[in-house]
Amino acid sequence: MNQGAPIFHFNEARASIVEEVVDRVTARAKDPLTLLGDAIYNEVRRLTASSSNHPGLAEWRALARRLHTMSASDQKDELRRLAKHHAWDVAGNFNPRVYGVATRLMPPVLGAIVAPLATATSLRRLVDAAALADRIAIDGHVAHVSSLVEKGTIVYVPTHLSNMDSIVFGYALDRAGLPPATYGAGKNLFTNPVLSFFMHNLGAYKVDRRLRHTLYKDVLKTYSTVLIERGYHSLFFPGGTRSRSGGVERRLKLGLAGTGIEAFARTGGEGASHAKRVFFVPATISYLVTLEAETLISDFLQEAGKHRYIIEDDESSRVEKVAAFANKLLRHDGGVVIRFGEPLDPFGNRVDHEGRSLDGQGRVVDGLSYVRNRFGKITIDADRDAQYTRELGEAICQSFLRHTVVLATHLTAAVMMNRLRRAAETDDLFALLRVRQRVAVPRLEVAAEIAALRDTLLAMEKNNEVVVGASLRAASGEAILREAIRAWQGTHTTPVVEEQGSEVWIGDASLVFYYQNRLAAHGLALDVLAPKREGAAA
Amino acid sequence: MSPQHRVAIVGGGLWGRALASAAARAGSEVTLISRREEAPPEGVSASRDFSSATPARIVLLAVPSKHAVATAHELGPHLDGGHFLIHGVRGLVGEGLSTICEAIRRETPARRMGALGGPVLAAELAAGSPSLMVIGSRFREVIEAVREGFGSPGLRLYGTRDLTGLEWASALSGCFAVAIGYALESGLGPGLVGAFTTRTVHEAARIAVAAGGDQATMLGLAGLGDLLAAVGQGGRPEVTFGRALARGESIERAKSELGERIEALTLLPKLGAWTVAHGVRAPITHAIVEGLFQGVPREEVVRELMNAPFGADE
Repeated sequence: MNQGAPIFHFNEARASIVEEVVDRVTARAKDPLTLLGDAIYNEVRRLTASSSNHPGLAEWRALARRLHTMSASDQKDELRRLAKHHAWDVAGNFNPRVYGVATRLMPPVLGAIVAPLATATSLRRLVDAAALADRIAIDGHVAHVSSLVEKGTIVYVPTHLSNMDSIVFGYALDRAGLPPATYGAGKNLFTNPVLSFFMHNLGAYKVDRRLRHTLYKDVLKTYSTVLIERGYHSLFFPGGTRSRSGGVERRLKLGLAGTGIEAFARTGGEGASHAKRVFFVPATISYLVTLEAETLISDFLQEAGKHRYIIEDDESSRVEKVAAFANKLLRHDGGVVIRFGEPLDPFGNRVDHEGRSLDGQGRVVDGLSYVRNRFGKITIDADRDAQYTRELGEAICQSFLRHTVVLATHLTAAVMMNRLRRAAETDDLFALLRVRQRVAVPRLEVAAEIAALRDTLLAMEKNNEVVVGASLRAASGEAILREAIRAWQGTHTTPVVEEQGSEVWIGDASLVFYYQNRLAAHGLALDVLAPKREGAAA
Repeated sequence: MSPQHRVAIVGGGLWGRALASAAARAGSEVTLISRREEAPPEGVSASRDFSSATPARIVLLAVPSKHAVATAHELGPHLDGGHFLIHGVRGLVGEGLSTICEAIRRETPARRMGALGGPVLAAELAAGSPSLMVIGSRFREVIEAVREGFGSPGLRLYGTRDLTGLEWASALSGCFAVAIGYALESGLGPGLVGAFTTRTVHEAARIAVAAGGDQATMLGLAGLGDLLAAVGQGGRPEVTFGRALARGESIERAKSELGERIEALTLLPKLGAWTVAHGVRAPITHAIVEGLFQGVPREEVVRELMNAPFGADE
């Protein structure tokens, strides 16, 4: 492992990063009064909603009273004080010792259960690291990504299904010989009894989604920009939150990932010696079973608009659930597959092994030309960059589709849901979920349909449209069905699919829906998730 | 006074030359890239070489839609990410009806793209008569640059961020201008022409929305504005063409009389198929396709439209 990556010296650089963030945010604030007013308004609203006598309330209210009598320079000072407070709150930690231990002793989830209490030695006794290496498969454009590690900053943008993702992904980076990446994790993960240890020690920084005011968002975005500029490889989940449906993200928020363009433009600006390149690496994380599937899908199925944005009490915070899940992973080869897509520049162009941007015809194009304005000057233009980011998002979504790894559970669920649709003669999701009678299907038919769907997927794979999991490629339909059922058993509180004698039927239609959604965007499963067309009249 | 813009226009037809004149009047430094021998308009320099586009910031494609992709392909090696690549092509290409911007995107490194539309005739624009156009781009800086590079007291440019909607509106109003010519010649009274135009705009808006555009764009200059102009304009080629067909002339004859390219002619049948494939109700499109290409007599076309079933929202 290359210990030269900036992340290994993060803790020494932290104060100077925070200082730079505060300086930039303060310097950019043209109108401190409005920013302060916005912060007061949002915080008072939030704190009042949580409790009428929240201790923070008095402070905000006192500031509100003082605000209009403050001089311009007092306002600026107050802004700086708040920016500093938030920036320190955001700033993460990186503990090289923990990093070493955690990555050597995967699966991370198992480590997570014991790590807060155990020492490295006792951990080592628990787990045979070599045997675990097979459980998490890593493939795709790994060599291409490696070739770019020292040529610029890498921004990983994977799909997001589980709170395990950041840890599993961190492990995958290490396994692939890539330096660790810093990432913004929801503040709730820092209080999650299972995951907090990793969050605090593996270079995560805190994102408090409850804070809605502009100043906080400025601090967060600037923090991310500065990290990318300084060469800290970063990890963002561009979907924003875990996929509630189980489907591959088709519309991205990008949010912080959009800071990649600003970071790139800044390092290439006037007076800079040379631009620091920024590479986006889309990746898919595919699980045979998702730890939080039950909570996520039930949240998805809540009436529109009632989704919980932050879920604090799901399976990932319950030790016994995580332990059971970890055991599952241990018993299945390739139960988790991390697949790296082709690296992109911040404008959605492909890049070569030298890190140069390539246009649609494969010609080298100067990345900086995209951030020059109509008079040829390099600029930071929020409107322009938002549009580039949108286009980058489209390129990332296409990569997600191409690199979706289909596993036994997805395939089996798609076949079972298809049978349910035929039996119920409807494609209306809520009608399907309410079907009460048992739709029993002869096992031989299920196996045959699984094999047929796998063959369709293999044909699509030839056109680079999807990836078929290693264990499915040559397996019989029956073997795939067995693998799926074995994986589901004991993972979820209700059986996803049940079997008796020569018949198979759906045990939990919501979970079948959840797992089949992985294939929805490919047109191979019930698709109730298709996003509304871009630009359609609101 | 904003700094001078460097504009390259690719395509030396009527439309390209008119746009070159407009840019020259706006004070831009304009190069017209064309293989034709004609002398360029006043204030415009001429080139036969695509590399002349390199020093420009705004590069405008003004070629027939069927040449758009090939032209962009040749232009590609001379551009980088700093060029604003816009087009004034009224059309959609391929069986799937891609917009021009979609179709040429992979051909060049340019990302900041845009399209011109609106109710203006090449001759009016060339003569400098007061005209209105629309520049559509998802990038505000492209809208601003085109406004500066082409706008003058004689040419006002409105901007929209709905690029897809604008490209569809331009193509659709070209198609429906043929329909309006056809209706005018069919002896419909002013009331019915007005009604027909209105229903045409509604239908075009349904189609544009299904294609990913905003309804409002079709109801603006590049859609409604363009069709109103079609009702009033004697000189609009699509209208003349529609009239000739309504008189029972063959497509070949009408085409040769006109001597000008009608993008709508190839587009209309594809559009009919597209609306079926996308489940968009489009009775006018289908009736016009029958009237123009399948020899259904015009009385029959009118009768069919008068008896078309109502949509859910009508």
